[in-house]
Amino acid sequence: MNDIIQDITTRFSVTDIINKRENLTFVTCRKENTISLITHLRDREKFTHLVLLTAVDWIEDNLFQLTYILNNPTKKIDIAIRTMIPRDNPVMESAHRLWEQVATYQRELKEMFGIEFPDSPRLNEPFILEGWNEIPPYRRDFDTKKYSTETYFPRIGRGTNDPEEYMKSKLYPNDPTK
Amino acid sequence: MALKDILTPFTAWTNVFKPVVTIKDPFNDRPGAERYRGFHFNDTSKCIGCGSCEAICENEAIDLVPVEGIETKDGDSGLRPRVDYGRCCWCALCVDVCTTASLRLTNEYTWVTENPEDLRYTPGVDVKPWDNNELGWKKPEPNYHFFGQKRVSMPELHPEQRDKSFIEIVKGYSKEQAILEADRCVECGICIATCPAHMGIPDYIRAIREDNIEEGFKILYDTNPLPEICGRICTHKCETVCSVGNLGEALSIRWLKRYIADQVESEDYKRILQSDGIANNGKKVAVVGSGPAGLSAAHYLALMGYSVTIYEQFSQSGGMMRYGIPEYRLPYDQIDKDVNYILSLGVKIIYNTNVGKDISLSELKSKYDAVFAGTGLHLGRSTRIPGTDHKHVYQSIDLLNKITEGKEIHVAENIVVIGGGNVAMDITRSLARLQNIKYGKVSIIATSLEDENSMPADREEVVEAREEMATINPGWGPKEILIEDGNIKGLRVVKCLSIFDEEGRFNPKFDESNTNFFKADMIVESIGQGMDIEYISEDIKKDLEINNRGRIVVDELFQSGAKWLFIGGDIIQGPDVIHGIANGHKAAVGIDKYLNTNI
Repeated sequence: MNDIIQDITTRFSVTDIINKRENLTFVTCRKENTISLITHLRDREKFTHLVLLTAVDWIEDNLFQLTYILNNPTKKIDIAIRTMIPRDNPVMESAHRLWEQVATYQRELKEMFGIEFPDSPRLNEPFILEGWNEIPPYRRDFDTKKYSTETYFPRIGRGTNDPEEYMKSKLYPNDPTK
Repeated sequence: MALKDILTPFTAWTNVFKPVVTIKDPFNDRPGAERYRGFHFNDTSKCIGCGSCEAICENEAIDLVPVEGIETKDGDSGLRPRVDYGRCCWCALCVDVCTTASLRLTNEYTWVTENPEDLRYTPGVDVKPWDNNELGWKKPEPNYHFFGQKRVSMPELHPEQRDKSFIEIVKGYSKEQAILEADRCVECGICIATCPAHMGIPDYIRAIREDNIEEGFKILYDTNPLPEICGRICTHKCETVCSVGNLGEALSIRWLKRYIADQVESEDYKRILQSDGIANNGKKVAVVGSGPAGLSAAHYLALMGYSVTIYEQFSQSGGMMRYGIPEYRLPYDQIDKDVNYILSLGVKIIYNTNVGKDISLSELKSKYDAVFAGTGLHLGRSTRIPGTDHKHVYQSIDLLNKITEGKEIHVAENIVVIGGGNVAMDITRSLARLQNIKYGKVSIIATSLEDENSMPADREEVVEAREEMATINPGWGPKEILIEDGNIKGLRVVKCLSIFDEEGRFNPKFDESNTNFFKADMIVESIGQGMDIEYISEDIKKDLEINNRGRIVVDELFQSGAKWLFIGGDIIQGPDVIHGIANGHKAAVGIDKYLNTNI
């Protein structure tokens, strides 16, 4: 693992190397080098399996983080590649030519975060949301609670109690100072 | 219903001719993974109904509902979470935030029912097949919490910086420390019921977090006109029920209250509390005693426009807060800060005037429209063991009074204090300081019937007394003060086995064969105080109801059998400052009601 990391550090200028476990290392790579790095790892270092592709919304930094986890089935080691893309123009080069199934991950990220992957097959088809008109729901500025309240309430039979008020009604209902 | 809602389901038909990707396996169990997030289970005996699960749920899937058989009591709202699985997204934030770790998700994820209403139930109350399923998602212990488990520690003087003086020990939080501590609050509000004054605790803690001191200050004064005092010496029962205290350390509610009060300068009180220009309603109320109950009643009455006059037997205000509690715990200038604001509302205090001796209660009745009496417990109780009539056997309360007044008291080289409550610790620690000043060393033993674990004193009092080189040796019953040639030699004690009998009455049992002797040439008794109601003359007493425990009976507005006389504070409830404050507040409302509707 160390040799591989050393090699990609010089070739692809990766940074922020974190050894999570003996068989799992995280690295961060610039957006424009990421697909080249993944191609290199797949073809030269035999990380032939894509474990997953996911995203994180760093709204405070105005960035999305993409994380590709790659697995080398022979050596049984994983490398996770992180890359940051601008949140206000979230476009990333598609990796579906490396693994066909990446298109599905990318379709999910388009739907949940609004990240664009030009040329990725069926990218704009609904993935799990049907008839969604709001901003992508995994973006942190999506107000889940507001959406829940507006969409699903009132539901007959639902009703809640505030602990403070309920305790008052039970324990000191006639307190004249309250 | 919008057109899209009608059309959307039909989009599913576009998939009908595509290859099937799911498999059908009706024969094999497919259990969820070890940490799978499936249906909820709640250990309702551990749950306290704090509602943190409901508050964090982004999908509004949780309601707090009353449950039959679960009682609302101190520290438990009696409510339990009910989950609507039409809303739950299985994120498990409810589990991760749970203040008692009672809520978890089992690894069961399949359940078929024909009635959609079944999919809304109260985990742990409505029995489900997966209730005993140990696998699934639990709150990861011990280092995974959404809020700090440790208190922000309070800066204090070291023992060697404080054991020769009466300088205040506790320094108070800085802004950064207070905000950090306030950030641990989950705002459940469970503490409010336990506070005798029902203070708006989560609201003023939120004000600290938002750095809005003036808002916090107003919230304090809604229910408590002595925040500098209570912020220092309140018995903080609220902290014993703090939901964060179930898995970690309870919020430092008392110190946070002090932080707010400490930030506000005296000259800003009236502006913040908007208490200028209160119209006088022409009615007069007399208050007997300027302790917490009297001051609280005076404050709320003054806000309602009454002219209030307090009669105080001592030369200064505060009652037990000044004449009982030592200065190292509650500096006198902090009492003054709270009291001066109350005086600024037009309240008058007539000092050095003992009601019953210098002026009679009947006279007050004729001069005022109503009277509030908060005269407290000022009579020391004696153990009455042989030797207690010796001149160097003292009552703690008398000595504490004299220390406050700056009078010289007898300080012997070896002292024994009988008592295990906070007053016993107050006199022990005060005398330890005076011994240190006089002799350069400490030789004082405090002993009590209660053992180490059941001593009524606050734990920190015992710990700090020991840090100041006092010896605390609990679990002994005093038998006799040994006197030779007219001089005290010490206290003979026997091991105390139990204090209360099966009916819960005070009836201590001793092991007479297990004895001990504490060398001393001065003994201080500190086993509690009694009330002195001699000032209530017989013609008034005949209107009062006295219960079988010798206490005057008052109603919930603290009105006594003599309708014009309201009574509160330690002689009714407590003894502590916060009950006095709450009593005074309620009595003020009661007096207002009495004078306006003649109840």
